[in-house]
Amino acid sequence: MAKNNNNHDEHRPDVGMYVKVFGALMVLTLVTVAISKVHLPRPQAIGLGLFVACIKASLVGALFMHLWGENKLIHNALYITVACGAIMILPMIDLAMVAHRITSPADVASQHPHEGGEEGHANSVTETIELPASAAAPAAAAKKPAKKAH
Amino acid sequence: MSHDDHGHGHHELTFWEKYVFSVDHKVIGLQYLITSFIFLLVGFGLMGLMRWQLAFPGTPIPFFGHLFPADLAPNGVMSGEFYNALGAMHGTIMVFLGVVPLAVGAYGNYVLPLQIGAPDMAFPRMNMMSYWTYLPGGILMLSSFLMPGGAAQSGWTSYPPLSIINPGQTMWLLSMVILITSSLLGAINFLVTTINMRAPGMSLWRMPVFCWAQFVTSVLLLLAFPPLEAASVLQLMDRVFHTSFYMPKDLVILGKAYMGSGGGQPLLWQHLFWFLAHPEVYVLVLPPMGIVAEIIANNTRKPLHGYKTLVFSMIAIGVMSFMVWAHHMFISGMSPALGNFFLVTTMIISVPSVAILTCLIFSLKGGSIRYNLPMAYALAFLPLFGIGGLTGLPLGLTVTDIYLHDTYYVIGHFHFVVVTGSIIALMGGTYYWFPKWYGRKMNDTLGWIHFWGTTTSMTGIFLPMLFMGLAGASRRLYDPTAQLHNLPVQGWNVVSTISAYCLGVFQLPFIYNFFNSMWRGEKTPENPWQATTLEWACPSPPPHGNFEKTPVVYRGPYEYSVPGRKTDFWMQTDKN
Amino acid sequence: MSQTYDPTEFMGNADTHSGVTNAKLGVWLFLASEIMLFATLFTSYIVLRMVSTSWPWGWDALNVPLATLNTVILISSSVTIVMAYAKAYDKNKSGFQLWMAATVLLSLGFLVVKAFEYGHEFALGIGPHTSVFYAIYFTMTGLHGIHILGGIAVNGGLLYMSTQKEHWEHPLFLGRVEGAGLYWHFVDIVWIFLFPALYLL
Repeated sequence: MAKNNNNHDEHRPDVGMYVKVFGALMVLTLVTVAISKVHLPRPQAIGLGLFVACIKASLVGALFMHLWGENKLIHNALYITVACGAIMILPMIDLAMVAHRITSPADVASQHPHEGGEEGHANSVTETIELPASAAAPAAAAKKPAKKAH
Repeated sequence: MSHDDHGHGHHELTFWEKYVFSVDHKVIGLQYLITSFIFLLVGFGLMGLMRWQLAFPGTPIPFFGHLFPADLAPNGVMSGEFYNALGAMHGTIMVFLGVVPLAVGAYGNYVLPLQIGAPDMAFPRMNMMSYWTYLPGGILMLSSFLMPGGAAQSGWTSYPPLSIINPGQTMWLLSMVILITSSLLGAINFLVTTINMRAPGMSLWRMPVFCWAQFVTSVLLLLAFPPLEAASVLQLMDRVFHTSFYMPKDLVILGKAYMGSGGGQPLLWQHLFWFLAHPEVYVLVLPPMGIVAEIIANNTRKPLHGYKTLVFSMIAIGVMSFMVWAHHMFISGMSPALGNFFLVTTMIISVPSVAILTCLIFSLKGGSIRYNLPMAYALAFLPLFGIGGLTGLPLGLTVTDIYLHDTYYVIGHFHFVVVTGSIIALMGGTYYWFPKWYGRKMNDTLGWIHFWGTTTSMTGIFLPMLFMGLAGASRRLYDPTAQLHNLPVQGWNVVSTISAYCLGVFQLPFIYNFFNSMWRGEKTPENPWQATTLEWACPSPPPHGNFEKTPVVYRGPYEYSVPGRKTDFWMQTDKN
Repeated sequence: MSQTYDPTEFMGNADTHSGVTNAKLGVWLFLASEIMLFATLFTSYIVLRMVSTSWPWGWDALNVPLATLNTVILISSSVTIVMAYAKAYDKNKSGFQLWMAATVLLSLGFLVVKAFEYGHEFALGIGPHTSVFYAIYFTMTGLHGIHILGGIAVNGGLLYMSTQKEHWEHPLFLGRVEGAGLYWHFVDIVWIFLFPALYLL
């Protein structure tokens, strides 16, 4: 039976580099906190915060976890994993876009405060279906209570 | 078991180390086999109860009706809640406790290391842990029937908000977390074993198709299960700590406002659940396809048609399986553009599936077909899985899915692929590899009775479901006669039910055959099927360490009927 | 079938088809599954935040100074564990034990600070049920905390094993230290994203 315990693939440590990375991580942490105190508008704040986080994560991953110079198999496994994660996230964004169709009427009203009018509007939870002319009177009566519920 | 004893070398193993907490992949494989068969029978039993209610709604269940407590079956008549619990648990048990542990845990564990020429799995102790999380997880899942409120009753799909307020769900979620852990441990083991522990000369392109199938399956398990684990944690938080991950605002239940903070999204669960559950169905189907490939190659006495096509198709299925999940959610309200995206990917994934089936069918052409029991099951797989696959097409097309979604058509479709597809193939695998596990053959007469009875009964159960679905019969409906349009097709429910009970009866010869042959079956030589793959190049059953010395592989896995040779098969490890 | 063997017989093959030992490959595949786990939680966070009508500013809702301290503690523990690895590489047992003990102590410190944070919130009646923001906050930091606990168990276990001659001198021990380090760095990376996502943005 194979008993090859003598082949090693551990990376040679470089203590000087570890100390430098530690310094960089500390600086970047303080930078992140400082940026957040500036209270940038939300999109820019998120973009910048994530950017700094990515740099920190890359330092830890590449240097502490020895991904830099690691076997290609590990790299490929990680590419596949990240691709898988990305596939998961993208359609979720659609969920965020359409969610207002399936949340409560109160939410819809607060998100569309200026929409009103006789006809049901697109994407409104309380949209009423236009009935044929003969049923116009009961339909009009049915519409009124629905609008009151807003 | 918790420490290394490498220092002092070998010691005689205790009973517990040898048979209970064994780290030998063969013992673990057989543990998985027996356990998953038992769970399959349990799931089958639940379905048997449901089928009575479906065929004869409102009538007392014969024999067992009076055994159930009054809240489950008053006067022996099944209650709606009990029906829902049976339905949810039937699905859960069959998928997570039955088919996957059988296909991956049993067959994968036993056969994969042998077929690649390895002495065991890469992490034998982790292998043992994976079984010993599966069994307690399964028992916990079943124990939910005995808890206050009963078992989970929100479908195996557990959609919120219903699953947040229904009883039984917490235990389901906890059990799922444990079972997912077991799967992940297994997946890591399979991948490292396949990548690192192949015998010299066993390049990836010389691996049997079964090994490729297990490899792709393990990638799916590794990457797709964690999202369900996370989603289950969120659902547990909703139930136990009253968070509102999935509960929308201003929810009113039975006239009372829901007490949570609101702001959640029920659709979030659906996306996360199906992100796993779609790759999961390929986990259900790929290893059985691998088994069918092995049996067909062996019993046509010729190489498989399109080995590389088979492998690339399996890889393509694996990749695409992550991109089709929302076809289970076409009518959930997603934007049409997103629906179109998933429509296209679903149509694309049907191509490699058809390619695999085509290669298997073309493999029969020009072969010297041997009609033994494993081959019978492999041949039955082809048209029956074909029906399953074809009936999936109208479900993958958005427009027709609007009508067919949540009807019996869906149930017919997926049972054709999993039951007449996967389970038939797995049964064939039992007859095929039984001689390797026990050194004895299963009895042929009993086997043929089992084969014909099983295939006929299964078709009798699921074919009518396609008709009922086309008529518009809703699924998960406790009383089918409640829908007027079901009345003309209600007779099919009776056909399905009778077929189901016949199916149960026809498993008796199989169960008897299995256990009787273990001790009294006809003894077989090392390679009774005259096969070429490595699992047949060691004793039956293989000793610890499998091969006396590390095998060396000289050629591909399907060198049958090579011109100029005395025998019609050329074992992978034979030098000449 | 005589079953007398040692399961570690088959382990540690770097002389394999891939050039990566079983243990290292196994740890990275495990991390791949963990990446998917936390990716799901981050995705849920993104979705729930995008659909919400209002989302509190981290500075108002949470204790940013304590979390910053925790960030410093966790990053430091990442450095101490990689130093422990460096000592193990040079077969310096006391050096390894010193740096690994420091890692364990820092990790415990992280949990203590976390306990203070949670305790303060609970005392104010704030819990996961309070709002979707707090639900996400408690769930993600809680799950991360459970991973920290797991890491403490593993690192503490290695620390203990280093006191046993048969383990310290085992050829696979360095690989185990490296594997534990990989897991610990991953836990650190999750926090590197979690901290700004929950507290600062």
